[in-house]
Amino acid sequence: MSARRFLATLAAALAMALPSLAHAVTIQTLSVGRQSEVWFVPDHTVPVIALTVALPAGSAYDPANKPGLAAFAAALIDEGAGSYNSQGFQAALSGRAIRLSATPERDYLVVSVLTLKENAPAAFRLLGTALARPRFDPDAIARVRSQILAGLQQEDEEPSNVAAKAFFRTFFAGHPYAHPVSGDAAGISSITRDDLKNFAAQHWVRGGIHIAVAGDVDTATLKALLGAAFSQIPDRAPQPVPFVTHMGQLGLQIVPMPVPQPNVVFGMPGIMRNDPDFLPGYVANYILGGGGFASRLTTEVREKRGLTYDISTGLNTFHRAGVLAGQVATKAGSVQQTIAVIKSTIADFVTNGPTDKELADAKTYLTGSFPLAFSSNTGITSQLNAFQNAGLPVTYVAKRNDLINAVTADDVRRASKRLFNTNKLTIVVAGSPQAAQPSKPLPGADKPTKPAVRPVKAKPRATPKPAKPVATSPLKTTPHR
Amino acid sequence: MPNAKFSGYLAGCALAFAGCLAPASAQDNHIFQFALQNGMQVVVVPDHRAPVVTQMLWFKVGGVDDPQGLSGLAHFFEHMMFRGTATVKGDQFAQTVARNGGEDNAFTTHDYTAFYEQIAKDRLPIVMQLEADRMANLDLSDNNVNTERSVVLEERRMRIDNDPQSLMREQMEAALHLSHPYGRPVIGWPDEVRHIGRKEAQDFYNHHYAPNNAILVVAGDVTREEVRADAEAAYGNVPSRPLYPRAEFAQPPRLGETRLAVSRPDVKVPVFMRLYRVVSYTEAKPGEAEALETLAQLLGGDATSSLYRELVVKRKLATNAGANYDGYNRDAGEFSVFAVPRPGVRLDQLEQAVDQILEFYANKPAAPGDLQRAKTQLVADAIYQRDSQYEMASAYGQALVIGLTTDDVDQWPGRIRAVTPAAVQAAAKNDVIKREAVSGYLMPSGGK
Repeated sequence: MSARRFLATLAAALAMALPSLAHAVTIQTLSVGRQSEVWFVPDHTVPVIALTVALPAGSAYDPANKPGLAAFAAALIDEGAGSYNSQGFQAALSGRAIRLSATPERDYLVVSVLTLKENAPAAFRLLGTALARPRFDPDAIARVRSQILAGLQQEDEEPSNVAAKAFFRTFFAGHPYAHPVSGDAAGISSITRDDLKNFAAQHWVRGGIHIAVAGDVDTATLKALLGAAFSQIPDRAPQPVPFVTHMGQLGLQIVPMPVPQPNVVFGMPGIMRNDPDFLPGYVANYILGGGGFASRLTTEVREKRGLTYDISTGLNTFHRAGVLAGQVATKAGSVQQTIAVIKSTIADFVTNGPTDKELADAKTYLTGSFPLAFSSNTGITSQLNAFQNAGLPVTYVAKRNDLINAVTADDVRRASKRLFNTNKLTIVVAGSPQAAQPSKPLPGADKPTKPAVRPVKAKPRATPKPAKPVATSPLKTTPHR
Repeated sequence: MPNAKFSGYLAGCALAFAGCLAPASAQDNHIFQFALQNGMQVVVVPDHRAPVVTQMLWFKVGGVDDPQGLSGLAHFFEHMMFRGTATVKGDQFAQTVARNGGEDNAFTTHDYTAFYEQIAKDRLPIVMQLEADRMANLDLSDNNVNTERSVVLEERRMRIDNDPQSLMREQMEAALHLSHPYGRPVIGWPDEVRHIGRKEAQDFYNHHYAPNNAILVVAGDVTREEVRADAEAAYGNVPSRPLYPRAEFAQPPRLGETRLAVSRPDVKVPVFMRLYRVVSYTEAKPGEAEALETLAQLLGGDATSSLYRELVVKRKLATNAGANYDGYNRDAGEFSVFAVPRPGVRLDQLEQAVDQILEFYANKPAAPGDLQRAKTQLVADAIYQRDSQYEMASAYGQALVIGLTTDDVDQWPGRIRAVTPAAVQAAAKNDVIKREAVSGYLMPSGGK
């Protein structure tokens, strides 16, 4: 395909003022081939450009006997391409302070680039080379394989990872969503150079990719940059991920671990992003467990009873499934009590629905906080890309707050009855829940308390995760707005 | 909070505690500083891209101010600040912020405690009133101390006790700083956290949480005049209070290296780590901290830096390796290195290889290309930081709260550019030394 034919056609420049944004956020749309769309927000305040692109290269495309292939390939994205060997490629990025990261999820591989404006031509050219002509040199494969294997072992030290992995394995048993994004030791060990090359050829493609760009660049320049990044990869899409035929496994599963604080992941079937009840369900989840300190679960489990530092739930959507899942950590002796409180809180919400105040507060938070995501270029691209990946049209950005404001108490009740069913709970505990004695008597339930979520300054880990993003994507319990 | 790099953000106003008269157009990026009558220091960081503001309120109190036997009190108290006041009862602080579409949180370090909200710009007066109210009127009488202690202990289990690397680091910090309270965990020792009561919390509040001990930073779609008016209205009437003076803790001399070897059943991956007590930005001679920052980047900033290149790529001894400098402290800074061995590589082999690389930098100037790349990365961090209101507010707040100035923030990129090969070599030779170090081996049980 000629560069000229490829070059993005400016389909429409939709200038839309977010209702709650005094400044208009202008989102332009461009395309880089069939079934692909670029959303672009120019801003010339800071001389940087941010790009987020989602490729159909997530772990759901891993072959059944090679879990981790998508993540392995992603970890090699800066390990050599074209005429650059591994160190050469990394020096080309590093010498210009170009930040390139590749984060595999279940449906997508999400690649982010952050560059100074002056280095944008090199940044987009290097991205294009990485996607179109990865080398997968044996030396780099061996090194990254050892890093992933060490990373998998390290993940096994952390009960939150162990519980989340076991939950997915159980909940999606038989479907490619079941295995961890990072794979397992046997799968990673079995992956060959040909596997990696074939995977990149089939999945690092232009069909169905979603691109969001924000920052200090004009449309004409951006078109040329996007051409450099994406014109060399094939304009086709892989076979879609299969439908999910069954979700969940009732009851409680325990993964024994020698830790003082077990981690609990609980969940039930959710709803799809295109379901008319999605936004009512989203509001319901905010009230139940998505809203931080405002949520019922935080009030009941943390504030009244001091059972945990953090409990949250999320209405997670994948291309082929929705799951309403939550996560909580509590000391060994309190696991059963915590699960009982979670169940009764859910049951009460289904029976009685939201109060008018809860519904009003949820709406003002969800609509009022929306502009916060648009205060930085990196924030803008990650928010817009999340919308793209959810299959939403660019016009959704302007409508989104009105749609949330239109949700009624009846809508939330209906969605809650569909979503929250304690008889459908799959629960996984990583740890030894029976080991400890019951905790001390509960303080009175009429004494709520109120603390902060991120208190201690996070010292850098002595051993950060391997430089490559090979971590599982644990449950996303933060609502994407 | 990540270890924020300081930003170069055009010219700041050098007149701390005085009205700064630099002119401001709607588009420029000057920062402004002034002070209220009650001693509260205010910094304004305009950023007009989105109609959003970030308010951060920094108090000059942290884990070092925990009384003897009550480690964790400063952090525990940060939690108590969300418990309600006479008029904003119970959990209404966070509820009000959320109802107005805002995000809020807080964090505590050894040196300081910070509270912040991010919210639509027209709600700035609301969150200022909320912060002023809990600075003056916190109500600790409705005693939720027991519940909150349980929450903090769960937080500790999650962050520290469940994570062998965090436990190891806590032990190494305790060994590194000897009697200095940087060796006490901010989150506290569980046996001391259990002794925290309402009386201790009230006393802590009375003598640390006052406008004359606070720095307000507002970043976002605001002007100096707006912030001054809103801040006067919200905080102007909060009276200053007598403060407990901060102790000047000794940093006792270290006579030699400390070594620690730990084997535990919950460890799956062995790790070598080493912490060095080095100078911080507040203690350093001009350029010295910047040289340490550059050395950390050269050694372990990314996949092109020397620990990774030598140990992971060339010699294939490690799966990962890196280095870090944490210099934004009132007292000592910390320099750290770590390496994760490949299967079959012993930790002492790995340590020896790390030491060879460190010795190289102590004995020879860094290669010009490597040095340039390291500096380019650090300077770019300062520009990337300008993309985020929160990071900008953090950079200025963190600098001021430990005793630096906004000039130190603004001039940081220039100072990094000026770092010479000789300065990096001197840092490696004179600052990053074994006598000031704790070396640790963390191993699975039965490991070697």
